Amino acid sequence: MPLTRFTLEALTEAMMIQVTRRELLKGAAALGAAATAPGALTPARAQTTQKRELVVAQGGDISKFDPHFSTSSNDIRVSFNLFDNLVSRHPDGKLHPGLATEWKLHGQTQWTFKVRPGVKWHNGDPFTAADAKWSLERTWDPKVGTRVSTVFTTIDRIEAPDPATLVVHTKKPDPLLPARLAFYGGQIVPQKYVEKAGNDEFNAKPIGTGPVRFVSWTKDDRLVLEANPDYWGGRIDVDRIVLRSIPETAPRIASLLKGEVDVITQLPPDQEERVMGNASTKVEGALYAGLYVLAVNGKRPPLDNPLVKQALSLAIDRQAIVKELWRGRGIVPNGPIAKGDNHFDAKLGPLVYNPGEARERLRKGGYRGEEIVIETTVGYTANDKPMSEAIQGMWRDVGINAKVEVLEYSVRAQKNRDKSFKGLWWSDPTSTLGDPDGMMWRLLSPGGPQDYWRHPRFDELGEAARFSVDEKFRAEAYREMTKIFLEHFPWVPVIQPYEDYGLQKYVEWTPNPNQQFEVRRFNLKLRRA
Amino acid sequence: MRGVFRFLAPRLLRALIAVWLVSTVVFVVMRLSGDPVPLLLPPDAPRSEIFRVRRELGLDRPLPAQYGVFLANALRGDFGRSIHFREPAFAVVRGYLGATVELGLTAFLLAAIVAVPVGLLSAVKRNSPIDHVAMGMALVGQSAPTFFLGILGILLLALKADLFPTGGRGDWTHLALPALTLGAFAMASIARVTRSAVLEVLRADYIRTARAKGVAEWLVVVKHTLKNAALPIVTITGLQFGTLLGGAVVTETVFAWPGIGRLAIQSIYNRDYPVVQCAVFLSAIVFIMINFAIDLLYGVLDPRARR
Amino acid sequence: MTERAPSTSLRPPTEFPDLAAPATISGARARRTARLATAGFAFVLVLGAVAVAAPWLAPHDPTRQALRGRLTAPTLEAADGRARLLGTDHLGRDVLSRVIYGARVSLVVGVAAVVVGGALGAALGIAAGFRGGFTDSVIMTLADAQLAFPFILLAIGIIAVLGPSFPTLIVVIALSGWVNYARILRSQVLVLRSREFVDAIHALGGSALRVIARHILPNVLSSLVVVATLELARAIVLEATLSFLGLGIQPPTPSWGGMIHEGREYLDSAWWISTFPGLVLMLTSIVVSRTGDWLRDLLDPTLRGE
Repeated sequence: MPLTRFTLEALTEAMMIQVTRRELLKGAAALGAAATAPGALTPARAQTTQKRELVVAQGGDISKFDPHFSTSSNDIRVSFNLFDNLVSRHPDGKLHPGLATEWKLHGQTQWTFKVRPGVKWHNGDPFTAADAKWSLERTWDPKVGTRVSTVFTTIDRIEAPDPATLVVHTKKPDPLLPARLAFYGGQIVPQKYVEKAGNDEFNAKPIGTGPVRFVSWTKDDRLVLEANPDYWGGRIDVDRIVLRSIPETAPRIASLLKGEVDVITQLPPDQEERVMGNASTKVEGALYAGLYVLAVNGKRPPLDNPLVKQALSLAIDRQAIVKELWRGRGIVPNGPIAKGDNHFDAKLGPLVYNPGEARERLRKGGYRGEEIVIETTVGYTANDKPMSEAIQGMWRDVGINAKVEVLEYSVRAQKNRDKSFKGLWWSDPTSTLGDPDGMMWRLLSPGGPQDYWRHPRFDELGEAARFSVDEKFRAEAYREMTKIFLEHFPWVPVIQPYEDYGLQKYVEWTPNPNQQFEVRRFNLKLRRA
Repeated sequence: MRGVFRFLAPRLLRALIAVWLVSTVVFVVMRLSGDPVPLLLPPDAPRSEIFRVRRELGLDRPLPAQYGVFLANALRGDFGRSIHFREPAFAVVRGYLGATVELGLTAFLLAAIVAVPVGLLSAVKRNSPIDHVAMGMALVGQSAPTFFLGILGILLLALKADLFPTGGRGDWTHLALPALTLGAFAMASIARVTRSAVLEVLRADYIRTARAKGVAEWLVVVKHTLKNAALPIVTITGLQFGTLLGGAVVTETVFAWPGIGRLAIQSIYNRDYPVVQCAVFLSAIVFIMINFAIDLLYGVLDPRARR
Repeated sequence: MTERAPSTSLRPPTEFPDLAAPATISGARARRTARLATAGFAFVLVLGAVAVAAPWLAPHDPTRQALRGRLTAPTLEAADGRARLLGTDHLGRDVLSRVIYGARVSLVVGVAAVVVGGALGAALGIAAGFRGGFTDSVIMTLADAQLAFPFILLAIGIIAVLGPSFPTLIVVIALSGWVNYARILRSQVLVLRSREFVDAIHALGGSALRVIARHILPNVLSSLVVVATLELARAIVLEATLSFLGLGIQPPTPSWGGMIHEGREYLDSAWWISTFPGLVLMLTSIVVSRTGDWLRDLLDPTLRGE
């Protein structure tokens, strides 16, 4: 069975949403904000550029270049461009050939990848299937101790019979193997160079096969990358890419409006009018390939009571949160599966707001004013603290004794590890694989990172769907799991937001729903006069 | 010289003990604050992974053993490897040092260059409008919260007037606002001290004598007062330089200035123990050295202080 | 420099004479200074009254949100027909009401930190001065170490360990302040001790505690009041700084520093969220610390340095 078909069929719905010209005008008119921005260029000139350099400002700095030692989104933006994966997930949400030109499943567990010929590492060494084998095995090599050692636990063994062929044997049927290879851990690193230079030197001076080469890095300031002239996918459209770290929102936006940078990441919805109102800049967004949810510790009373959890969900006015706090840049979820993922049920209506019914269920559930705590971070997900406070207000309105506590990231990470959250906390479950298995089941399964609630039927279905290659069966299983989910709410889903970027109008670029920053030739072009 | 040594020796000992205390406190507080490992791994990493990485970083050993290793290495100038960056901690801190020194020196020079003449002028033109305005501003500079001065600067001078960038490091325009913010307190203090020191001297008899003899006023001021008021001015100036480095923490955060202060805060949040330890250690050493230098200056310039 | 413990208006006389104050203070000036100091105290009292009476003074519930009326500019008639004199924040809460309630956090944390830090610092300072020798060395070395520590980092670390709460903030801020009391009281005690009457009482068999309570405390009380006033200004600013860094009181309790923090992202579009609490904070800090200066001129000339 040709492998690509599998995901292609499932991911028919394009997730990319571009802000239309009409929306832009509406935004600008609503505020009357046009032309107040500093450094606004005249529209005609602003549409094109002579620049050969792309400057990108992101909200945090890079920490490591060795792709097997970080899973943070700031690092991923770089590592997916310095390196290639065997399989590549494009902004259209589909899987495309990367360093592998094609792949096939033989029987249930044997995958054969044809490796792209003639590819060279940035230092001129040739890339072969042996590199791919070595690189994947490196992820779980205890002597290396990577941070992605659990990504490929389904793999039994890998063979590279000749320089152009890679054979991967999985322990059980794994329909999602190509999707796994497309995400973190799957970046292919050079065997010869890493063995010679050592892991530290490789981290300091990374060498990949990707469309850009490493030039220099000044911490917390700027990272300079240059185009790889021999890239197999074609030389990218600029000579250099500079990544700057501008953690505060206001300066990040100001630098875009002043024309100092070409692209900014993490554009908050509240600031979009300024970018749209400016004649030379625009907004591009991608519907996040996941959800923002309040995860629930279902072991702590009264959160072990389904009626109370239903009331929590019913008391949240998600429309108001989306419309006011997010200025419309998001959608109200209908369950645990993100729109755009496999088995998203388009016929299911969005989660309902009904404060009266919420009061009723609290009464029926015997809720007696026990304290319910939201543990929020500040900026772990966009708007997390404001949403916490807004939801706290909504819950209080129906008589829930809600409290907000602010946590640091590292405390959150530790509580996540110890499973010691007091009540609810923000989580941004995403399916790195475009499938409920990689999202709901990865997190909520027994022993998973958010294992706070068990339901025999839910568990049975989740396990069966994981190892099934029968999509009809899987669809039915996820439908039933959604039903159970909506009775027990192991998560209280709040919003599926857009992740927005600010760009100069001359930059033609499409964001990727899973936070990759794709600069390859097919996705990035500067409009030149 | 013997006198100077006897004056200095106990101070040196106290300074060394203080540095040791500071390092110990930062070691203990950081270890109590939590585990860096969950931040390094994907959220679904199993427990065995966490234990493996803890072992790799030496965090599985008992605290006293870790402390022993830390002290022994610190004495040799080795602060261990950054958990976040996978590089020697000292190299990481060194990379941020330039930005902080640039900001601190600029703020300090700005403060000194503006404040000393203003203080002088205020004293000479005592109770004039110039004096009132200058001292009023000094008052604000001395009492206003640093971070809010920075915010006001960003709001008025960067966002509304569009004169400066709102943050980050680059050319002199990037430097102006943070340096002014950081230097405001020092500037105010130095101006006030200069003014009173000069006033003090102006009241002295020999100045009156000089005036009576008909020597031009400005000459009197410059010659006598600066000579006699130099010590307190130098003292306050040096002290202000010492505190500037600490003040950089807030200023760097407000202006996203890539210096040691911001690195230290980020490293606390990342639980990057070695970097925090190294940054605090260096900062304490600098502060103590400056105080020491002032003591020395006093000891040499003013023999009475040696007693 | 809110992060270092010493503020220059507060140098102990023996080490760093504060020359900012005039050398002498004549009768007319003394009366004027007294009036000013009274006015300063009145300001603090008014602030305290505002904090206590916040529920009656605030036009709105400070935690009541109105998402549909968020980021409203200061207006006499908002969408609901009521005045929002200082506008609303990113959750539609009334900024004026939050500023009024914010005085509570500032004063409670500030005063408590001054009391705790003052008690600790006074005890250590008196002990150092009275006992001298080894005790003195130990305490002064501790003080040195404290001053050498970039305090804000220590505060962040401690809050990371204990979690942000009223008691944690009070302890952290008190810890940052004890050195100032200790140094000043120590030097005063040293002066007092050298006077004959203390030695005489001691020789006659008076216990140390008795000597301290009867003869030393009354003599250093005025210095203590001056230092405490100056410290109050510093404590309020430090609390705001920590809240600004996101380490303060938990939401939705309003605090000035926290409001400045929340408004920072909206500085360009909704300047009122940060600016008003910031101005009130600045005014408070200036008036309180100036009151300390005036008090010092009045009560305790020795603190001015020679």
